[in-house]
Amino acid sequence: MKKAELKKHSGKIITAAVIILICIILGILKPGREALMTQTSPEMQKMIDADANSTRKRVTVTYNSLFIINYASLSTSGANVMSERYVGFLGKVYPADEGAMKVVGQMVNYTYRMLGVGENLMHGAKLTITLTTLTVLFGVLLGTLLALGKISKKKILSKLSGAYIFFFRGTPLLIQIFVVYFTVPGIFGFAWRDLFGVNDAEAVYKGAFVAALIAFALNSGAYCAEIVRSAIQSIDKGQFEAAKALGMSYGQTMTRIIIPQSIRRMIPNVSNEFIMVLKDASLVFAISLMDITTVSKNIMTSEGSYLVFIPALVIYLVITAFFGFIFDKIEKKFSVYE
Amino acid sequence: MKKKVLTLICSAVMLFGLSACGDKVETAQTQDTATTQESKPAIDISAATLMSDGVLNVGCEVGYPPFEDFAEDGTTPKGYDVDIITAVADKLGLKVNIINTAWDGIFAGIGVNYDVVCSAVTITPERQETMIFSTPYINNYQAVVLLKDDSKQVNSFNDLDGMSIALQKETTSDILMSDYKSTGTIDIQIVANEKVTSCFTQLQNGEVDAVVVDSTVADGYINSSDAFKIVYEDQSEPEQFGIAMAPGNEGLQAAINQALKELEDEGFIKETYDYWFGAAQ
Repeated sequence: MKKAELKKHSGKIITAAVIILICIILGILKPGREALMTQTSPEMQKMIDADANSTRKRVTVTYNSLFIINYASLSTSGANVMSERYVGFLGKVYPADEGAMKVVGQMVNYTYRMLGVGENLMHGAKLTITLTTLTVLFGVLLGTLLALGKISKKKILSKLSGAYIFFFRGTPLLIQIFVVYFTVPGIFGFAWRDLFGVNDAEAVYKGAFVAALIAFALNSGAYCAEIVRSAIQSIDKGQFEAAKALGMSYGQTMTRIIIPQSIRRMIPNVSNEFIMVLKDASLVFAISLMDITTVSKNIMTSEGSYLVFIPALVIYLVITAFFGFIFDKIEKKFSVYE
Repeated sequence: MKKKVLTLICSAVMLFGLSACGDKVETAQTQDTATTQESKPAIDISAATLMSDGVLNVGCEVGYPPFEDFAEDGTTPKGYDVDIITAVADKLGLKVNIINTAWDGIFAGIGVNYDVVCSAVTITPERQETMIFSTPYINNYQAVVLLKDDSKQVNSFNDLDGMSIALQKETTSDILMSDYKSTGTIDIQIVANEKVTSCFTQLQNGEVDAVVVDSTVADGYINSSDAFKIVYEDQSEPEQFGIAMAPGNEGLQAAINQALKELEDEGFIKETYDYWFGAAQ
């Protein structure tokens, strides 16, 4: 980085460093799991002890550690319903059964669940981000091929690409997901989870994820094809002619001259597509996966807490802001070609 | 509970679908039989408080098949509850007047807009504090469904350990299985779906090992498809549906219980159950 640039950014860098430092300190100072668990009331402890030898256990222990704060809850099911909640922050343990601490505890718990911390990759924010990133990646690749096909002089190639785009843009994504996950294995007699073997306990989710990714990528490819096509066709015709005059082949012209220039023009639209997919990712609820939206909806219905949607919005905004920043950088990088 | 089961039952009915609608005539016949039996002296209802003479006003959220739903003409209520309450009213020598009402606030209307509520109401201790119930006229259990050719032995929920289980989101099944998982009783992968039909498709495709679902719904699936079998029903915690009445109307409660008992003895309840839910209870 140049000196002048460094100076311009120094304010931001210092702020970021201070925030990170504070978080680290808070993270170190938060009480550990043990501290939260020793708060347990004697009655609850009795239930926990009884569970040790029981075939039908009754106590649910939740422990959520979220960067600077942590939350623990013990609750029982059955006739004898009890629940105890604690929040640990800055070296202290606070009971969180009522009042402001209850809300704090809920927020920690909801955020934890929506981020999918401690869960496999196929859960919450992790699922949303993985699925969206891979979808747009494959979508752009597939879209580029389709776009080249569509503007190709070969009639068959052009017609085929056109038909593909027509089909995937003309049918709802939700139905495409259903078809990939239910119809295709149903007809051809295989199961998505078989891809991961019987011994993998999470094979169901992984299988569903693969199916979702295929559906999303195929769908996104159609949209990206139009983005890429419009970007390519927006490049001045004179450049094709100039390249031809220099004796370059069609392939050379495309890969060396046209596509590098068109990338900058694609980026804003791809960024748009990315954000659309990010939100469309919630459609995976249809095939038993839990993204941010599904998790928040579940919490809303099971606990009746409308507060859950606030952390959900914040998580979405943080993800969008992060990827928006990245797309900005890519756009700046490629703008040197124009 | 009802709201949770709503979609379950809806899906079940999608299966019955055509057969249920097409057999409207047969339903009418069932009711005719009940009417002819009414030649016997009706049950004494002098102790009961009714809003209008000779009529049993029934509050019902019509739109919860197969318990209650409108026939194809869009105005005639039909379903398991409708058959049961019609037969009960016949026993009491009363005409039935079904009043379609929204589920929200349905209980506030007892004694105001109608005498009883017969609308797939689960008997719960909380509800029993504000109203009285007839004896249960249907039992619902949590059932485990496997593929027919699956040789796994499931004699309790604990035997599901290590399996992937499909169930419908936010239903009793979901609550129960999530509890088994979160307490560490068994280690299962819960595959939660919006629609119960998705669960059965997943089971058929081999994505999951078992489906945990309401027994009424399971019966419907077993009845309409050869692919599945019920291997376990949790008889220990049945959910029971009853007819709800205003507190203090013990006279009506006694009369309705008497009618339900007679219908049970005559086999009418079982017959009606088989008709709407398929396999034997």
